[in-house]
Amino acid sequence: MLVIDQVVKRYGELVAVNNISFEIKRGECLGLLGPNGAGKSTTISMMVGLLKPDSGTVRLDGASPDSNATRRLIGVAPQALSLYEELTPRENLTFFGKLYGLSAAKLRDRVAWALKIAGLEDRARHRVHTFSGGMKRRLNIAVALIHQPTLLLLDEPTVGVDPQSRNHIFDWIEQLNADGMTIVYTTHYMEEAQRLCDRVAIIDHGKLLALDAIPQLLAQHGGQSVISGRLEHIPSDFSLPGTLLESDWRLESEQPFDVLTRLAQSGVRFGSVQIAGPDLEAVFLKLTGRVLRD
Amino acid sequence: MNLLHLALKDLRLLFRDKMGAFFVIGFPVLLGLFFGVIFKGPDSSSGGSGKISIAVVDLDNSPQSTKFLDELRKNEGLRLEIDENEAARKSVRLGQRSAMIVIPTGFGQKAGLLWEEQPEIQIGVDPSRVAESAMLEGMVMQAVATLIGDRFQQPTMFLPSVTQARESLKGNQEVDLATKLVMGTFLNQVEQMIEAADRVQASNQATGDGGGFEINFANVKRVDVTREVNPSSVSGQLQKIRSDWDISFPQAMMWGIMGCVAGFSMSIARERSRGTLVRLRAAPLSKTQVLLGKALACFLACLLVMLMMTTLGVVLGMQPLSYLKLAVAGLVTSFCFVGIMMTMSVLGKTEESVAGTGWAANIVMAMFGGGMVPVMFMPAFVQSLSRFSPIYWALRVVEGAIWRDFSWAEMLPAILVLIAIGLIGTIVGANILYRRDD
Ligand SMILES: Nc1ncnc2c1ncn2[C@@H]1O[C@H](COP(=O)(O)OP(=O)(O)OP(=O)(O)O)[C@@H](O)[C@H]1O
Ligand SMILES: [Mg+2]
Repeated sequence: MLVIDQVVKRYGELVAVNNISFEIKRGECLGLLGPNGAGKSTTISMMVGLLKPDSGTVRLDGASPDSNATRRLIGVAPQALSLYEELTPRENLTFFGKLYGLSAAKLRDRVAWALKIAGLEDRARHRVHTFSGGMKRRLNIAVALIHQPTLLLLDEPTVGVDPQSRNHIFDWIEQLNADGMTIVYTTHYMEEAQRLCDRVAIIDHGKLLALDAIPQLLAQHGGQSVISGRLEHIPSDFSLPGTLLESDWRLESEQPFDVLTRLAQSGVRFGSVQIAGPDLEAVFLKLTGRVLRD
Repeated sequence: MNLLHLALKDLRLLFRDKMGAFFVIGFPVLLGLFFGVIFKGPDSSSGGSGKISIAVVDLDNSPQSTKFLDELRKNEGLRLEIDENEAARKSVRLGQRSAMIVIPTGFGQKAGLLWEEQPEIQIGVDPSRVAESAMLEGMVMQAVATLIGDRFQQPTMFLPSVTQARESLKGNQEVDLATKLVMGTFLNQVEQMIEAADRVQASNQATGDGGGFEINFANVKRVDVTREVNPSSVSGQLQKIRSDWDISFPQAMMWGIMGCVAGFSMSIARERSRGTLVRLRAAPLSKTQVLLGKALACFLACLLVMLMMTTLGVVLGMQPLSYLKLAVAGLVTSFCFVGIMMTMSVLGKTEESVAGTGWAANIVMAMFGGGMVPVMFMPAFVQSLSRFSPIYWALRVVEGAIWRDFSWAEMLPAILVLIAIGLIGTIVGANILYRRDD
């Protein structure tokens, strides 16, 4: 659906996006994962035609995102809140709805729907500047949805949103995705990408480091699982793999269950035990040599 | 349609922002009222305590003329000041006095005599005082009528005249017999009329009705006191003013418009800082449409301000001479300031920098253009600078329509200047904004 081909964007000396190519399939939810300054927002801006790539092309269903017809297909929730604070949420939604050609009953329905989805029905008549950060975030996403886009671009949509609202947002993003909307979800929260996205693109310093479905990424770059626990009894003259510090034990392994079974059979008794599978954090660490969150 | 949505959104934002709305409406209205009241001050003080001061030139100096002036003096609202003819005329021309009255020689002999050609009383009234002019004329009529009444009341004063008339009629060889007969009958009737008048007089006094025999037989001749004034002189201009608000409300309009200009030039920077510009540009709109939407919003706001100020001014007593010209003035002025707004909005990238430079530019324009002190009161060298201020041209068309009584030909240069400024400003501003890629 959306094809990004050898896209480069420079700000002076700085190469914000460095020769990135990938394709987003219709109906999928793609995560853009990367640390601050990786080039995620710049990539999003080029997808909507807000920025022109210095070289390379962006094509949505074969057309440039510059054209009005293409823009109608895209809904974008920018990373920075983009709302008229002196207007009410209803007025914000109505105004942007009109810009996308909605009117009359259709517009009313969409506004009502968006207010509901943002959980702002009872605050519909209050001005946005009286809202909490989380409420503004929710409205920021709702505005992107007002015209029923087929491609939704969310740039770190959940910054400052409390866990409950966040879950609420995830629920309806999943619902929209299930209903066929294509979603690009930018974040530096691993768990968000892990929960929502079919595939994840890992970006750093403007480069695309990996793009795959999560299990594949984990398998390829995730490394080994980590087993840790407290041991109550170790048979004498048993050579224990891993490291033991007093009774705290730690071991990295690709087959954690096999290891545990073998140990139990040998007579090792466990007080407690945890297995941590490879996660995107580990993938990221492996790919960039850095931890994602400071 | 999109343009209209954009513009209406901006208007809504403008009026939601209390400070913005204050600068567009509240402040200009206060300013207009303030200067209107100040302006009122010296104007009416020329009459002292609200009286109309009138220069009187008594060329007759007879008991009748004195009596006439005494009668006139009885009117509460008048203050009479005896003066020489030329000095009197000059004082009215300069606006120091509101009117002049000239009592001609021979007034005493003829005033109040019904069959004599009435002496010509000259009245010159400052043309800006339309209402007072009619009133004064009425008072003069009344005073002359009192003289007539006096003659009726004093047969000794009056009957000799009848007898004299009869004698001269008899002795006149050129008058034919028939006429003599008619005139004789007429004079007899006059005598009977005197008796009748006496009776009326008596009954009037009985009913306490004041009395006086009111016959409007005064011959009032208007003297033009403006014609010799250079119309471009300060007094010449001031004489056209017909309301205390004529000067201050056009100024108030300018301040309102400058409020719009400042507000909207900031609003592009605000859209950028609030991130809404991103949304607008992601929407199916061209950049040009976004800019035109701003221009339209500013245009509508300026028109609205002018409409409101006009309405308020008219309510207070301003009487625009031509609403059609005022409408044209409103359109071209609004267009001009849209251009200025577009240029101002590129003077800075942040709201603060645009607001700062915007108001600074506004104040300079207003200062030189007559938005504070009317241009006509400025020293000559400043007046020549004022031609560079758009406010000057805007005030010209607005005042031209309200009180300067401009013809279309006189309006045209200012109209063209305003349109040119609007065009240049829009093109320059829009081009820079258009190229500014962020
Ligand atoms: N308008 C701009 N002018 C100059 N440099 C810019 C501009 N916008 C972004 N950059 C630079 O481009 C790089 C990528 O920025 P971008 O906003 O795309 O990062 P990001 O991945 O979205 O980061 P974050 O997670 O902090 O939002 C950064 O180094 C940033 O400093
Ligand atoms: Mg970003």
